[in-house]
Amino acid sequence: MHDRFWLFLATLGYLASAGWGLYALGSRRPVSNRWTILLIGAAFVLHTLFLHQRGESIRHCPITNLFETLAFLSWSLVLTYLVVGPAYRMSILGAFTAPVVFLINFFALTAPIDSPGTLPPLGWQLELHASLALLGLGVLGVAALAGVAYLIQERQLKRRELTPWFYSLPNVGPLEQVQHRVLVMGFVIFSAGAVLGFFIPHQNTEDWVKIAWSGVVWSLYAALIVGLGRLSHKKTALLSVGGYIFILLTFWGINSLSEAHVFPHGG
Amino acid sequence: MSSRMEARMATMSAQVICGGLTFEKTPVELREKVAFNDSQLPEALGRMREMLGLHEAVLVSTCNRVEYFGATARPEVAAAAWPDFLRRFHQVPDDFSLLSFQLGGTSCVEHLFSVASGLKSMVVGETEVLGQLKEAYDLARVNGQTGKWLNRLFQSSFAAAKSVRSGTGITRGSVSVGSVAVELAEKIFGDLHACHAMVIGAGDTSERTARSLLSRGVPSILVANRTYDRAQALAAQLGGEAVHWEGWEDHAIDVDIMISSTSAPHYVLTSEKLEGLLKRRGRRPLFLIDLAVPRDFEPSINLFDDVYLYDIDDLQSIAQAHLCERQLEIVRSVEILKPHVARYMEWAQRQAGVTGADDARTGLTLA
Repeated sequence: MHDRFWLFLATLGYLASAGWGLYALGSRRPVSNRWTILLIGAAFVLHTLFLHQRGESIRHCPITNLFETLAFLSWSLVLTYLVVGPAYRMSILGAFTAPVVFLINFFALTAPIDSPGTLPPLGWQLELHASLALLGLGVLGVAALAGVAYLIQERQLKRRELTPWFYSLPNVGPLEQVQHRVLVMGFVIFSAGAVLGFFIPHQNTEDWVKIAWSGVVWSLYAALIVGLGRLSHKKTALLSVGGYIFILLTFWGINSLSEAHVFPHGG
Repeated sequence: MSSRMEARMATMSAQVICGGLTFEKTPVELREKVAFNDSQLPEALGRMREMLGLHEAVLVSTCNRVEYFGATARPEVAAAAWPDFLRRFHQVPDDFSLLSFQLGGTSCVEHLFSVASGLKSMVVGETEVLGQLKEAYDLARVNGQTGKWLNRLFQSSFAAAKSVRSGTGITRGSVSVGSVAVELAEKIFGDLHACHAMVIGAGDTSERTARSLLSRGVPSILVANRTYDRAQALAAQLGGEAVHWEGWEDHAIDVDIMISSTSAPHYVLTSEKLEGLLKRRGRRPLFLIDLAVPRDFEPSINLFDDVYLYDIDDLQSIAQAHLCERQLEIVRSVEILKPHVARYMEWAQRQAGVTGADDARTGLTLA
């Protein structure tokens, strides 16, 4: 479809941003992160244009098949980064966000998972439920990326091996704070989306696979949030990263197995 | 020709020069004899300008260098008068002529730009010298001792130094034990204004490190020492609070940074002790700086999460690595300075109205 072109361009933008971000991280001299943010910002505009055009053409929130869902998930990641990065002076996190977003989009664009078709009315509750859940997962993704940055810094400090990354990455203390705040924010949004799902009238039988998966994800993050005051920062970061890897690895399979979450055209 | 016009002609044909004594050739025993304190500088500047026959003058006096910068049509007069000026002003018998250097034209510009960028500092890349140059220039400007040559020269040197700092890693990484410790503390905690520190043992290095932490915002320091009187004395110097040796562990619960330099033959803080302490203090990060030999902190405590332990060797090797990295950046810094030097020299040539044939006479030659 024509709208895929915009996503393709956006993905190229994320690739360029990832390249610049990684160069800035590894450079021995101070390198401005302005290009990372500008490139991600420009790619985000194209990404939004894709979602808008797709939404217009299918007359639904563009999360009706796995391709659109992945594109929406990666869009949520970038949106969170664009809010969190400048607000907390963590623009360098773009060096971590851009590669992940590029990989998600690359998979979405290359895998045969885009099967548009005529859809019945889905109802605003269902669209809100799905989009909130995906937005929450996007926010949790940025928390995981902040966790990755924390773990890299922590490892360098523990091993006393101070590479150029040590100077480019944010301080450990602010990284912890940002990670915790974004984690709580993502959990609240994901929970709101999940809870909304219980109030949607179901025509079919309950989708136990998806409900069980959502329950596992919710429980994992709930335990993490409860443990924020007790777990060490390193364990919190490890669990946040591990949890998100679990989400990314199982997202495809769960969406394939899920019945109620597959729309009538078979996407 | 009127004297005013003569002066104007002389100014037009002037060239920038610099000279003086630096740590590279002059030992501290001699430098300290001719250093100028703040109250002496205004008078010294006027006398120096007169004696050296300078149209414009700036006098820079730091721990590592006593240098003049000027604009003159007769550089040889300035060079000859400089040692005499030092002798007379400070009333010392020493002869500084063999220890003094003088540069003119491009070499002078290159020298100032390099100094401002920290390339000629004892600790390469240090930024304090830039502030000292700015102060010296401001003093001369306020006292009416500068004109178009030195105004442009110094302002260009500040811009050049900024380019070097932002374009290279010359200032990256601390190069002393104290500043490395502070840099690490800032990497661990971010802002140090909410951090509390404790000094265990009243050694010189720990005192210096504590002072560095205080200068970066640490609001309070506790001092524990086997001899309470010494703890009190150091606490008074640091504006902190002395605690009794027997109770230091209780006080450590609220502390984020601990600096230790006791002469104890055994570990002052073991893994076992720290485990108990961590349970009481929660999961806030703890930065332990062990400056003692033999060491005060058991090395295995670095295995605890949220605990960062550095001993004196760790800090020294980091400082050394930073210094080496800075040395490697010198070549790149010189390349960055070249266009700045060329721009100044082009401007100077336009001002002097000289042609290429006159370059040799005026010293305004491009590198």
